[in-house]
Amino acid sequence: MSAPGNSNPPDPNTKRQQLAEARDIAAQSPDASLDSAPVSDVAGLKEAMLDDWSRESWFADDIEAHPALRVLRANFPHAVVDAVRFRDETTIHVAPAHWREICTHLRDDPRLQVNMLSDLTAVDMLRLRERPRFDVVAQLYSIPNRTRLRLKTGVDDGELVPSLTPIWNGANWLERECYDMFGIVFEGHPNLKRMLLPDDWEEGHPLRKDYPLRGWREFPVYNTERTVGRVRTRWTGRGAS
Amino acid sequence: MSATDEILAPAPYQADSVFSSDAQSLGTLTVEQDAIAPSGERLMTLNMGPQHPSTHGVLRVVLTLDGELITSCDPVIGYLHRGTEKLGEHHRYAQVIPWTDRTDYVAAPMNNLGCVLAFEKLCGVEAPERAQYWRVIMSELARIASHLVWLGTHALDIGALSMSLYCFRERELILDIFETFCGARLTTNMMEIGGFSRPIPEALPGMVRDFVKIFPERQAEYATLLSANPIWMARTKGVGAIPADVAINYSLTGACLRASGVNYDIRKATPYCVYDRLDFEVPLGQHGDTYDRYLVRMEEMRQTMKILSQALDQCERMDTPLMAYESEYVIPPHKGTMTTAEDMQRHFIWVIKGFSPPVGEAYVAVEHPKGELGYYVVSDGSALPYRFRIRSPDFVNLGVLPYMATGSMLADVVALIGTIDIVLGSVDR
Repeated sequence: MSAPGNSNPPDPNTKRQQLAEARDIAAQSPDASLDSAPVSDVAGLKEAMLDDWSRESWFADDIEAHPALRVLRANFPHAVVDAVRFRDETTIHVAPAHWREICTHLRDDPRLQVNMLSDLTAVDMLRLRERPRFDVVAQLYSIPNRTRLRLKTGVDDGELVPSLTPIWNGANWLERECYDMFGIVFEGHPNLKRMLLPDDWEEGHPLRKDYPLRGWREFPVYNTERTVGRVRTRWTGRGAS
Repeated sequence: MSATDEILAPAPYQADSVFSSDAQSLGTLTVEQDAIAPSGERLMTLNMGPQHPSTHGVLRVVLTLDGELITSCDPVIGYLHRGTEKLGEHHRYAQVIPWTDRTDYVAAPMNNLGCVLAFEKLCGVEAPERAQYWRVIMSELARIASHLVWLGTHALDIGALSMSLYCFRERELILDIFETFCGARLTTNMMEIGGFSRPIPEALPGMVRDFVKIFPERQAEYATLLSANPIWMARTKGVGAIPADVAINYSLTGACLRASGVNYDIRKATPYCVYDRLDFEVPLGQHGDTYDRYLVRMEEMRQTMKILSQALDQCERMDTPLMAYESEYVIPPHKGTMTTAEDMQRHFIWVIKGFSPPVGEAYVAVEHPKGELGYYVVSDGSALPYRFRIRSPDFVNLGVLPYMATGSMLADVVALIGTIDIVLGSVDR
């Protein structure tokens, strides 16, 4: 009987056996041949890391080498309108007709894996160009590649944009907000109604550039019972500008 | 149809006379008035909020109930909409920063940071190293303050009243640090384009160090109160579980995404400031339920302690400037404005006219306590932003509430709203 608190010394035979097993397992691993192999090909490794689909290629100086742009040019040759690089961010302008197909393709391509819609919004280009009036902007993110990509499509007032809600549920509220603020109608959206403003808001879409900062008209306060003798208005004495 | 048939025919179902007439006149009620559940029972429409204490502000949720089971959930937001994006388009770049305080007011320095980083990216300015460290320290303190408010109110919703008292006690220490640093406690407006124009108060590193010393013990107390509490576990385990693919599909970010096991933390994925020099880990959950989100946020607070002490160690002895004054986009030094005419004129012109960044656009995302906070700024070359977009994390995260609530029990709704960690100022902007 061993004294309490004293564990048995390890059996040398068991230890030898364990070592032999470990050696066998090590011999089977693919790393085993590395000892005898010549010095690894550093230049070749670097080249392999810098292949056409690596993370570095997303930030290459030549924007045509951008993986997403190459994929889109190959698959949607007529849809790509423009590609811009500014401050290390890539923006690809595409035609609105292929908006959803392009996003689906970017999401499902195993080399790109642009699997998350970070943000979807719009810019009113009224003061910057003739037409189209709006730019719908989607900020996409690839979690495996850790890279961002901005997609833009130009639409005119009243033109329909395919909704992204069938492929990303996150687009549901973002598109509703976009409709609320700009009046852009997304085709195929399940529930396109006002998001932040009240449902009975009749005064247009406030983030349009022709929408004045203080609204179109004087905005009456509803609980007029409390006011005595006069109807209070929120912006008394100030014109819409 | 005879007169008798008309009398015998059931009257159309009215959920609640006062509520439905009000809602119909406003056109906000979307649920079917005459819906029948598979069990044969009439469905009940329940309005929750916007003045409900557990909705964390002015969130309104229209629930359709079959007994106690939720069959549909329709969040109605916008009661706190102030048009921050429109305001941003009508202010000069430096004037926009205070507006961002008012979006998520429990973590105001973080909002400032994202906004300032977006403007700096647009202008091509980089703040000096020491300022970057202090930005990290302040934003990490804001993370803890935000998580403490979340923990206190979330536990309060579920029934652990005393948690809120303890959490707000520790948050007071952080607010004191903010007050020493910039004079304000809630709407701090502490970040500036190019760094910090005011010196760091001498007492500040000591205060942060004291906090780092005190807080881990206090957090251990919270964990003893909640982590193994049978009531807490019964109310949170398995409630509102989100699988990883659904979380990505709903564009969730922050703890809501990481609790589902998706490793996406902007501080690690695309590091900003000096996060690439700091050693910390990103906690991930397994089941994506409310309990996992609780564990992830608690571990985030512990990791933040590591970040704080490292950042202090690295920057405390630095004697480098705090502001990138060499750039034309940065406010000129205030030092000579009272004595020399040139300095005064330069300062005056910068304040009155602002500055005009190059034409272009930039999107910057920072890891806000609630998720990815993105600022998208479009410049047309004038002194005002052409488009100023705030991608607030809780607005997007709240979109998953119908998914989580449908099929769960009525009593879980307060837990689900709490676990998303929303601040309505940030949701409505």
